[in-house]
Amino acid sequence: MSGTSYALNKILTTVARQHVMKDALSDDDLAGHDLNDEERAALKAGDITRLYHLGANPYLIRRVFRSRFPI
Amino acid sequence: MAEIVAALATSHAPLITGRPEVSMPERRDRLYGGFHELHRRLTAARPDLIVLFVNDHIQNFPYSNMPAFCIGLAEAYDAPSPGGARLMRIPARRVRGAPEWGMALLESGLAAGFDFAYSYEIESWDELSVPLHFLTPEGQIPVAPVYTNCAAPPLPTPRRCHEVGAFVGTFIRSRPTRERVALLATGGISHWVGTPETGRINPEFDRRVLDHVARADIEPLVRLTHAEIERDGGNGGQEIRNWVALLGAVPGWKGEVLAYEPVAEWITGCATVWVHP
Repeated sequence: MSGTSYALNKILTTVARQHVMKDALSDDDLAGHDLNDEERAALKAGDITRLYHLGANPYLIRRVFRSRFPI
Repeated sequence: MAEIVAALATSHAPLITGRPEVSMPERRDRLYGGFHELHRRLTAARPDLIVLFVNDHIQNFPYSNMPAFCIGLAEAYDAPSPGGARLMRIPARRVRGAPEWGMALLESGLAAGFDFAYSYEIESWDELSVPLHFLTPEGQIPVAPVYTNCAAPPLPTPRRCHEVGAFVGTFIRSRPTRERVALLATGGISHWVGTPETGRINPEFDRRVLDHVARADIEPLVRLTHAEIERDGGNGGQEIRNWVALLGAVPGWKGEVLAYEPVAEWITGCATVWVHP
């Protein structure tokens, strides 16, 4: 996998622990998290491929954005 | 002295029980048949304890504190929790832990240079729940899990996992008790989960792994690099570390593959293996 983004994995862990699946994250979800513009855009778009390449852990991507996966 | 009376390796995936209807019935039946046969043999071995080589999926251990190896010291494990039960479509239940046994392993490990982390509270997921649903449906055998980081790179090397497993095996055999211990490793084989290749399975890699296990030819597995496993087995394939650890505990023991099914609908190359002297 690509390098790890702690910022992405931190917010995805927080959201995953809410046990609510999302198509995309909202500004409310992102509030208080230290993310760069690219990370914010990928989270708000629910862009699972982009998130992977930005260093989000794939298990966390799948847990949060389960509805984005065709299988 | 204590003895190892059984050793089993299986895949785990929430969809194995969560979405049985989407798989090809004959594939599902063959895999379930493998689990049922393992259940029969495990029961016949009459274990007092099951030592589990498993991994978290960032349910428990966050990026702020990520252990390479962690011994579970919980009194009991949700296997699964009520929430997990809905997803995995198996009954929620609590499986008894073995905290005193785990503490003995922990202290022995620290004395021997194996610096395990430990945890008194672990939210188990499919790594325990799905295999134990088949293997200990009665839920009366306590479990002692050893968690290995297979999901949040950088990961411990397969060689180190093998060494940890060997230590656990030596620890068990040195116990001045008459306890009968079963070993169970869960995870793998190939699967890509959460990555852009999600859903891919590589049966060629799986058969290669199973062939090495069947012949107790461990060295090629121990030598695998993270990059090689990621390329051929996917990020989920990194979980074969749990199998490697188990094989380290029972040197020379060979695997009898009871079932292998690459189930695309469950996005996992699924196997059930009986490991024996």
